[in-house]
Amino acid sequence: MKRITIDPITRLEGHGKIEIFLNDEGDVENAYLQIPELRGFEKFCEGRPVEEMPRITPRICGVCPGAHHMASTKATDAVYHVDPPAAAKKLRELFYCAHMIHSHIAHFYALAAPDFVMGPTADPAQRNILGVISKVGLEVGGEVIKHRAYAQDIQATIGGKATHPVCGLPGGMSKAITDEERRDFEEKAKSCVEFGKFSLKLFDDLVLANKEYLDLITGDIYTMKSYYMGMVDANNRVNFYEGDIRVVDPDGKEAAKFKAADYLEHIAEHTEPWSYLKFPFLRKVGWKGFTEGNDSGVYRVSPLARLNVADGMATPLAQEEYERMYQTLGGKPVHATLAFHWARLVELLYAAERLLELCQDKEITSPEVRTIPTATPDEGVGVVEAPRGTLFHHYKTDEKGIVTKVNLIVATAHNYPAMNMSIKKAAQGLIEKGKEATEGLLNMVEMAFRAYDPCMACATHTLPGQMPLEVVIHNSKGEVVERLSQHLHSEPLEIRVAVLHKGTGE
Amino acid sequence: MKTLVLGLGNPILSDDGVGLRIAEELEGRVDQQEVTVMETSVAGLSLLDMLAGYDKAIMIDAVQTVGGQAGRIYRLDPEALDFTRHAASPHDVNFATALELGKRLGLPLPREIVIFAVEVADASTFSEECTPEVKQAIPVCAKMIIQELGGGPDA
Repeated sequence: MKRITIDPITRLEGHGKIEIFLNDEGDVENAYLQIPELRGFEKFCEGRPVEEMPRITPRICGVCPGAHHMASTKATDAVYHVDPPAAAKKLRELFYCAHMIHSHIAHFYALAAPDFVMGPTADPAQRNILGVISKVGLEVGGEVIKHRAYAQDIQATIGGKATHPVCGLPGGMSKAITDEERRDFEEKAKSCVEFGKFSLKLFDDLVLANKEYLDLITGDIYTMKSYYMGMVDANNRVNFYEGDIRVVDPDGKEAAKFKAADYLEHIAEHTEPWSYLKFPFLRKVGWKGFTEGNDSGVYRVSPLARLNVADGMATPLAQEEYERMYQTLGGKPVHATLAFHWARLVELLYAAERLLELCQDKEITSPEVRTIPTATPDEGVGVVEAPRGTLFHHYKTDEKGIVTKVNLIVATAHNYPAMNMSIKKAAQGLIEKGKEATEGLLNMVEMAFRAYDPCMACATHTLPGQMPLEVVIHNSKGEVVERLSQHLHSEPLEIRVAVLHKGTGE
Repeated sequence: MKTLVLGLGNPILSDDGVGLRIAEELEGRVDQQEVTVMETSVAGLSLLDMLAGYDKAIMIDAVQTVGGQAGRIYRLDPEALDFTRHAASPHDVNFATALELGKRLGLPLPREIVIFAVEVADASTFSEECTPEVKQAIPVCAKMIIQELGGGPDA
C-alpha cells in the first residue's frame, strides 16, 4: 500500500495531519484526518470555583475565546439556576455579534478567499491574503483590518480585556455600558453592515460570476448529504446566542428540536482505534459508519448548517441574501461543503445587522445587568453557536460551586466524522492513478475540510507553528519516490538563529 | 526609541506560557520611559494592532525545533522572520504574512523586530507551570532582554 502524508496542514496551523492511502492500482483507498491531543483539561478545571470557568475556557483555544466565554457563562447560569436580566442577555448578544463579525471576516479574507480569488491551484506564494489584497486592491485590505478592529474594540469594551473577556458572571454581566459607548458601537455597527454587504458583493463578482468556481462549489466531490444541527430562535430563525437546538435530515425535514440541557439524549459518540478524538453522531439515528444519507447519524454544524436548520434570518438584508443563496444553489438544504463560505458571509451581514439593532435598543444601557444567584449550585449546560458551529459546555459542581466534572463538545468535534468523509471524497475525486499529485491538487483536497474552519482546540503559540507542508509519496516497499514541499525555503530554523543559551539540560 | 517588549503564549498550556512568564519577570525591572512591557495570547492579524506605533519590538515566545534542547534560548534575526510561522491560531494568518500585510497597508509598524524564543519541552498539557528546564531559562532570558534594551549586541 502506498502512502501520501500531508503534515501539517497549511494555513491551519497546529499539528493536524491528513493521511491518504493509495491501493495497489494507485487510487485513493482511504483518507484520515488526525488532530493533536491536548492533555489534562478536565483535571485542570476540577477543584476550581465554577465562576472561574468563563475565564479559563477562552484560553483553551486562541481562535474563539468569545464563544467559549459565552457558552461557559451560560453554563454557570444553569449551574446556579439563575436567569439574567433582559439587559444582560442583550449585552451578551451584542458582544457575541461582534465576536462573530471578527471571526467571520478573518476566515473569509485570510483563509477562504485565497482559493477563490487566486485560484485553487495558484502558486502557493501568491495564494494567501497578500495575493488577495494585491488583486482586489489595497483599500479592501484596509477595510478588513478596520472592521476587525471595530469588532475587537466592541468586544474589548464590554469584555473588559482585549482578547480574553472577563465580563460574564453567573446571572449576568460585570458591568453595563454607557450611552457614549453605545453611540460609538452604533457607528461601528453601521459601518460593519456596509462591509457585510460589500463582502457579499465581492463574493458575487469574484466567485459566483466565475462559472468554473460555481461548478466547483456545486460539484460532486465537495458535496455531502448529511444531517445538520444549529440553534434557532422561537420563530426558527438563526440565532447565535440563545434558543433551541434544531436538527434537520438530509431532506431538510426537522428531525429533532431540543433544549441544551438534553444534549446527551441526542448526541452519542463513536470511537475508532486510529483516533483519540471521538466521533459524535445522532443517537436516535445511530452510527452506521462513515456514510452519507438519512440512515447515517453523521451530522454537521457550521454557518451552512445553521442556515439549513433555520426557516430564515431575523434581519431584512440577511434574509434577502439567504433567499438568494438557496435560489442560486437549488433549494434547501444545500449539501455543498464549499457553500459554507457563502453562508458565512450571509451570517456576517446578519451579525452586523443584529449588532446595530442591539446598539439601538433602549434597554441596552440599562444598569440592571445582574441577578445575584441564591440557589445551591449543582449542574448545568450552556450552549452558543460558535463561529464554526454549536458549542456545548456542561459542568457539575459540589454544593459550594467547586467543579467536579467538565464536558465540552466543540464544533470541530461535531464535524470530525464529516470532515474525514469530505476529505476522502475529495481525495478520491482528485487523485487518480497516472495523474501527478501536484501541490494544487492536494490544496484542493485541503479545501474540502478548510471550509469547516476547523479549530484544533489548540492555543499553542509554538514557533515555527507552520512547518513546511511536505507531501511524501512512498512506493509499496516504503521507499520515497516523490517529495513535494509547500514552502520555498526549507532550511531548518536553527541555521537562521543565534543560539544564546544552551539550556540547562545539556 | 519607543520599544514594545511583548510576551506571547498560552498561560495554561505548560511551557507554551514561557514568553508570558519572562514578560512578567521584566515588569518592574525595566524602567525606561520609552519601553512598554506587555503580555498577550493573540497572533496573526491581531498582533498588528498591538505593534502599531512602536519603533522597535522585542517578542518573546516558545519554540519547538526538531531535536531541540529544552530551555535553549534563541535570538531570531529580523531576516529569520520570513521563516517563522506563528501558530497561535489555526484560524489566522502567520506572523510574517500579517507583518507584510501591515506594511503594505501603511501601518506604523516597528522598523526593528527581534524575537527571543525558548525551546520548550511540553506545550500540550494543561498546566500553569513550566517544566523545570524551561523554568530555569526564564531569568536567563529576562537578563538577555535587559541587555538588549541597554544597547547590547546587535541592538
